[in-house]
Amino acid sequence: MRISTQHLFDSGAARMGEIQSSLAKTQQQVATGRRILAPSDDPVAAARALEVSQSQSINTQYGVNRGYAKDSLVTVDSTLASVTELLQNVKTTAISAGNGSLGDSQRASIATALQSSLGMLLGLANTRDGQGNYLFSGFQTNTPAFSKDPVTNVVQYDGDQGQRMIQVDSARQLAVSAPGQGVFQGGGQDMFQTLNALITQLNTPGTVGLSTALATANSNLELALSNVSTVRASVGSRLQELDALNSAGDDRNLQYSQNLSDLQDLDYTKALTQLSQQQTTLEAAQKSFAKIAGLSLFNYL
Amino acid sequence: MATNILSIGQSALTAAQVGLSTTGHNIANASTPGYNRQVVIQGTALAQNFGFGFLGQGTAVSSIQRVYSDYLGIQVQSAQTSKSGLDSYYAQIKQIDNMLADPASGLSPALQEFFSGIQEMASNPASIPARQAALSSADTLVSRFQSMAGRLDEIKQGVNSQVLSSVDSINTYAQQIASLNDAIGRAQRATGQLPNDLLDQRDQLVLDLNKEIKTTVVKQGDGNYNIFIGNGQPLVVGASTSKLSTVASPTDPSKIEVAYQTSSGSTVIVGESGLVGGRLGGLIEFRSKSLEPAQNALGQVAIGLASTFNAQHQAGFDLNGAAGGEFFAVASPVVGTNSGNTGSATIGASITSASALTTSDYRLQYDGTNYTLTRLSDNTATTFAAFPQTVDGVTLNLASGAPAAGDSFLIRPTVNGASAIGVTITDPAKIAAAAQTGAVGDNRNALLLSALQTANTLGNGTASYQSAYSQFVSQIGNKTRELEVTSSAADKLLSEATVSLQNESGVNLDEEATNMLRYQQAYQAAGKVMQIASQMFDTLLSLGR
Repeated sequence: MRISTQHLFDSGAARMGEIQSSLAKTQQQVATGRRILAPSDDPVAAARALEVSQSQSINTQYGVNRGYAKDSLVTVDSTLASVTELLQNVKTTAISAGNGSLGDSQRASIATALQSSLGMLLGLANTRDGQGNYLFSGFQTNTPAFSKDPVTNVVQYDGDQGQRMIQVDSARQLAVSAPGQGVFQGGGQDMFQTLNALITQLNTPGTVGLSTALATANSNLELALSNVSTVRASVGSRLQELDALNSAGDDRNLQYSQNLSDLQDLDYTKALTQLSQQQTTLEAAQKSFAKIAGLSLFNYL
Repeated sequence: MATNILSIGQSALTAAQVGLSTTGHNIANASTPGYNRQVVIQGTALAQNFGFGFLGQGTAVSSIQRVYSDYLGIQVQSAQTSKSGLDSYYAQIKQIDNMLADPASGLSPALQEFFSGIQEMASNPASIPARQAALSSADTLVSRFQSMAGRLDEIKQGVNSQVLSSVDSINTYAQQIASLNDAIGRAQRATGQLPNDLLDQRDQLVLDLNKEIKTTVVKQGDGNYNIFIGNGQPLVVGASTSKLSTVASPTDPSKIEVAYQTSSGSTVIVGESGLVGGRLGGLIEFRSKSLEPAQNALGQVAIGLASTFNAQHQAGFDLNGAAGGEFFAVASPVVGTNSGNTGSATIGASITSASALTTSDYRLQYDGTNYTLTRLSDNTATTFAAFPQTVDGVTLNLASGAPAAGDSFLIRPTVNGASAIGVTITDPAKIAAAAQTGAVGDNRNALLLSALQTANTLGNGTASYQSAYSQFVSQIGNKTRELEVTSSAADKLLSEATVSLQNESGVNLDEEATNMLRYQQAYQAAGKVMQIASQMFDTLLSLGR
């Protein structure tokens, strides 16, 4: 078979060009650590990687959301812990006020102490979170939850029944606030009213109706404590759920990373083997081309 | 007798010289593109009868032929035209493939950041910084859409200018082939011999022409090449040519179309089916099969996102207690009125259901009584007699005027979707995070907005924003991959055909070296014959001394 000399050069150049371009591609893969340099390298995996990266991004965002949820719930919980402590103190004080050896002035000074407890309780009910939002006013986060009438001392709720939810997982929204009415004035009692009634009684000279009032106050305080602890239990279980979701979220993040890596990342061992293989092929092609191209009858003429 | 020997020697000397010249010509053109080796056709001269028998009268060169196979030549041309077509398609789509290559610069990260911003805002609905961050991430998303659309538009402009240059090349080649037809014909008539080098040049030009567009070559009895393109439009007939030209598309002025100038002087737009193969065919196919669908697909995601997000946003209330307005500016469909329409109708189109949108363009035709709307991606036709009419989420109406029979319109619902998307809101307080009025801490609408990220709102409820975008990426990736493979197969086919042709017609330098030695020795031997004849003559002359 006759072979044209030009073809000898053309095909040699073409073959070396081919090897060089695959060598360049392998080199680029090694340099970037990515198996897929463009969607055309693996269209299915490239599209899948986009979806997985969205899932991972959403999962990460849920993690951030859980952080916000935890912050809010921890603030609610610690506030309610303070409320519990305050109520227990009030209860002790109320019991001590029933001591028959006390006189009017002593009862009046207890009433003064309770007055400051009432102020503290109002302060706790109007707690704000890190961003200055009122914790217990439902959706009315820039309105104090409770206000006290300066004349009648009646405390009223100014918030609404809105319960702020945060998306903490793909199918889970968690309530991160508790409308204050249910906490401070729910469960068959009204803490402010209980305290106000107690203070009024203790400021009244004499002991008429004292024991009945104290008993009422005592049972109302019991109700209030149990109401607060019910709310706290629910907050606690939500905090626990957040911890569980956090660890599940971390696991999922790991899975997504693994998944993305499987889809996109380079198998270095394979790639480096391929690189040296291609290098050898190129060298062989170059050497053999130089040898063959040098063969010419004209060398001997 | 001696004079006879001298002339025999001289005929041999001449033949050897011709042989050496031809060998030299072959060596000189060993790497000339399109050159086919030439061989000397040599025969014995007419013998003379001397009574005792026919005495040979030396040698004669009858012709110099080029070694060329029309059959293999046509194979190379057709392999070349499909290879050039695939290469030009590949070179164009690779630009889109590369645009989508970097996962950090595509649409996905911007989309993810946008919804993270919305979620942050949902977690902190009353916080102005959180709202501002959500707005900024919306700006980023919008500018990502716009920059990708801008890049696609650049590619479209690039296609336009390459179509122009390809048409120029085709006209130039056609002109050159026509003049060669003429020159070859005249040389042949004058000498009765074929002008080999001109034939090579013409075949090379036909090959070059095939790199631009697929042609059919019909060889005439007189040796002329008549060349046809597309559906049989003559480009070269003998020594005359017809011209291709370029015109702006009648329904889309920003798009350059190829037109054919008929012998009567009118220009007719050559449809896609008439422009196949070669660089031009590849460009046209890329534009209609990949570029325009890509613009539409990106536009579909943008319009789908903008309208579904707007709908939810308008269901909520902002920080000031007012009902939510439009969050995004949504692009409108583009209606191209055919510049050849005789009626005065202006067609209006609006998007009424983003979920039902497709990535196709539509052609609306009026036949005098009925309208036919054809979805161009699959040629599904809808016929109706009156407006308004809603097809695939787009509602059409007669905005003004009246159509005439034969009028047509091109409706492109999503083509501007990505370039014209915008953020309407500038005041962070205007984001409608609340589900009820006057509740600053209410984040229920914000939660619903962020849930849109994974909801299947597009493609009639089959795709989320991200999956519609992934689909687009995978389509481009798959097509690029397919072209990579078919282009390399076409390359193999071309190289096989070229090798076959080259092996027959190409110059082998070793062979030429052998021929050179052969003719050199023939020349020396002929000289020796002449020397002997001369000596014989001298012997005769010395007899008389």
